[in-house]
Amino acid sequence: MKNFLALVFTLFLGFMIITALSNNEAFPKYGEADVSTRVSQKYLDRSVNGNPGEIIFREATNLESGPANTVTAIVADYRSFDTLGEVTVLFISSLGVALLLGSTKQRRMELDFHPNFMLKVGSRALFGIILMTGIYISIHGHLTPGGGFPGGTMIASSMLLLYLADDEFRAKIKGFKILESAAGSAYVIIGLLGLLIGSYFLENLLNNGVLGYLFSAGMIPIIYVLIGLKVGSEISGVIDNFLTEESV
Amino acid sequence: MSAILLIAIPLLAAFISILFKKASPYILLFVSFGSVIILGYLPLETITIGGFSAPYGINLVLDQYSLIALYVVDTLFFLIVAIACVKYKKISTVLLVALAGLNGILLTGDLFNLFVFIEVSGIAAYLITTTNKKPLATFNYLVAGTVGSSLYLLGLIILYAMFGTLNMADMSANIASSGLTIAVAFPFLLMFIGLGVEAKLLPFNSWAKGILAHSNKLTGPMIASVYAAAIGFVFGRLLTSVFVFSDKLGLILTIIVIATIVAGEAMAFASGKVREILLFSSIAQSGLVVLIFLQGFVGWGVFLIVANAAGKLILFMIANHASDELGTDEVKAFKGLFVNNKVIGLAFTVASLSAIGLPMFLGFVVKMNILGDLFATGDYLIPAVILITSIVEGIYFVRLLMKLWYKEDNLPVVQYEFVLKYVVVVLAVLIMLFGVYSAPVETTANDIDANTIVEGGNL
Amino acid sequence: MLQYAAIVLLMLGLYGLLTQRNIIKIIISLNILEIGLNLFIVSVGFVDGGLAPIFTSVNNSSNLVFVDPLPQALVLTAIVIGVGTTALGLALAKNIYQKYGTFEIDEMGEE
Repeated sequence: MKNFLALVFTLFLGFMIITALSNNEAFPKYGEADVSTRVSQKYLDRSVNGNPGEIIFREATNLESGPANTVTAIVADYRSFDTLGEVTVLFISSLGVALLLGSTKQRRMELDFHPNFMLKVGSRALFGIILMTGIYISIHGHLTPGGGFPGGTMIASSMLLLYLADDEFRAKIKGFKILESAAGSAYVIIGLLGLLIGSYFLENLLNNGVLGYLFSAGMIPIIYVLIGLKVGSEISGVIDNFLTEESV
Repeated sequence: MSAILLIAIPLLAAFISILFKKASPYILLFVSFGSVIILGYLPLETITIGGFSAPYGINLVLDQYSLIALYVVDTLFFLIVAIACVKYKKISTVLLVALAGLNGILLTGDLFNLFVFIEVSGIAAYLITTTNKKPLATFNYLVAGTVGSSLYLLGLIILYAMFGTLNMADMSANIASSGLTIAVAFPFLLMFIGLGVEAKLLPFNSWAKGILAHSNKLTGPMIASVYAAAIGFVFGRLLTSVFVFSDKLGLILTIIVIATIVAGEAMAFASGKVREILLFSSIAQSGLVVLIFLQGFVGWGVFLIVANAAGKLILFMIANHASDELGTDEVKAFKGLFVNNKVIGLAFTVASLSAIGLPMFLGFVVKMNILGDLFATGDYLIPAVILITSIVEGIYFVRLLMKLWYKEDNLPVVQYEFVLKYVVVVLAVLIMLFGVYSAPVETTANDIDANTIVEGGNL
Repeated sequence: MLQYAAIVLLMLGLYGLLTQRNIIKIIISLNILEIGLNLFIVSVGFVDGGLAPIFTSVNNSSNLVFVDPLPQALVLTAIVIGVGTTALGLALAKNIYQKYGTFEIDEMGEE
């Protein structure tokens, strides 16, 4: 009975959402969004503080926001305050998992499956490849899709591979904590430096370089590397907390 | 001195304090005290972040409304931390992030940034409630909070698709100039429901019973007083500056809120446990705050939040300490509690009488002015609801007070430490002071009303 | 089409939250709700015939038609926040299992 009522309620709600959106004359139909009336047009043209004209790949120099990837420009430059909040959410989640599941003496959890020698050795070869892919994606965030968050998650997934393939492996959690704390503080300190040296919090202080080169976009690759390290160490900490238990 | 430091410094302190675990409670005390002090040196302005002015970048708005909100929330936060940090040392990093998140909620001028900071302080709240040692109640809170935030984000995205901007001031200007009041009703309803989950409005407040009925000295005051005040201020900002109400939407929202008030008071009347009485009264007060903002009275809404937050801090702190010591919170076990703790009892009495709205207390001044303004607009239903619920509130609070002051044979023995006594007495004295000498309260409330640019709303 | 799929996922997640009584299934329903929401956000920015908003050696001028990059940036943040809450939810689930010995809410009795 309760399932039936819930089904009726959700069908009714879905129907209501669809009718409200179709009858709404200001809500554009799928595929007909007019980007020129939204704030995003100025993000695409990099013309929030003055108009640089047409932007050509590998020729435009020192734009107001350097990355070739406009999504990175939004996440790490125009709206980088939201990214600071997001980094804080991950920080506090990993801290919360450590609070809930952590204890003083810990050892790896006993599982029924014991991996054999080939798995343990072979996974180390794969670990290096995955780690390098994660670092590549994290560094090239301003030129290709990706950036710090997927890169950091790949770094953490390389740690997960080692945890799953070897049931006695434990990473050095103290080192991860120091890395996480240092990367997070560095992000806030970069912001405060922008306030002290420039005039705005989180202002991009370095030269933005030529659009499309690896060394361009000012501080954004630095910020993305910091975020990648932070996310990687946080999620590795979460994995460690889930796969360990109290040792007697 | 820029208001961004209110958010950046607690975050920096939180990132650093996980390396210095032993010193973290002192860092917490220092930073929360510093954030109260720094409020005196901040000029009222709009702060751009990153060099890109609104609406293409994010901006923080520090006007008179935010300044009062920041004073209230930061001061109460510092008081709770000062009392409770001795016992709950492990959670100090989470409290630092909660402070940064609460300041972010009150300062921001961008709707998506508001979502991010609501999530930050929400997750900090879930972690604070884990000190209750009731994981199922925390899990319910987590699920309810996440669903609420998702509904808020859905409404926000529909608004973005319609108007193309995420900034609060820009959005309200676009809505006013486009004249589409019916079409925006649906996203506004979604956003209202999303925020209403955290504000304990019916029917989304099932998490509140689990969390607050078993709360301890840190969780109870923090969730019921500080977080409730912050969400109330956010509602005030959104309801009066951004939202535009068609008549039908206003009617639906008013019905939801009145149902909350009535249900809250009724369940408080029927309850036999002290913490439950207090938490249902909190639910009803949240509903009342949203109702006042719905009618458009910004200044008196602000002071209702202030009076309510200070009062609930006193009530929850006293009740939770006694529950911790006695192990139960049935009213029968509390009988005669105040006979040996006269100072505490006086503070509790002052706070509860202010909540009812008796003369000589701040609650009376607030309620009188609200009722006066409502009668002036010609509405009779809402003042009637407020008066009837105040009478019900009066009955159960006075009943509780009589039981607690009653002289009996087996008196419960509860010791209150000096810091707690000091804090609740100071707050109680302030409530009485502004209740009697109410001129500055009235001028400030009228000031806020005049200065708030009401582009939406139904004033 | 994509927006209908997003709304169907939203409603599936909501239905799961209303009816399921197993902690792990509740967490999965919450994740499905968030996936639907993120899909809806991205679909709001789509432009027919638009290119991905990245300057490359092939799409090298700003005069081309790009899709809206702002919803994609919002979704980046929303996904990460969802991951954070899921991690916390799973840690709470492990604590609930250690305390009560089961994942079914109905077997847990009084909290």
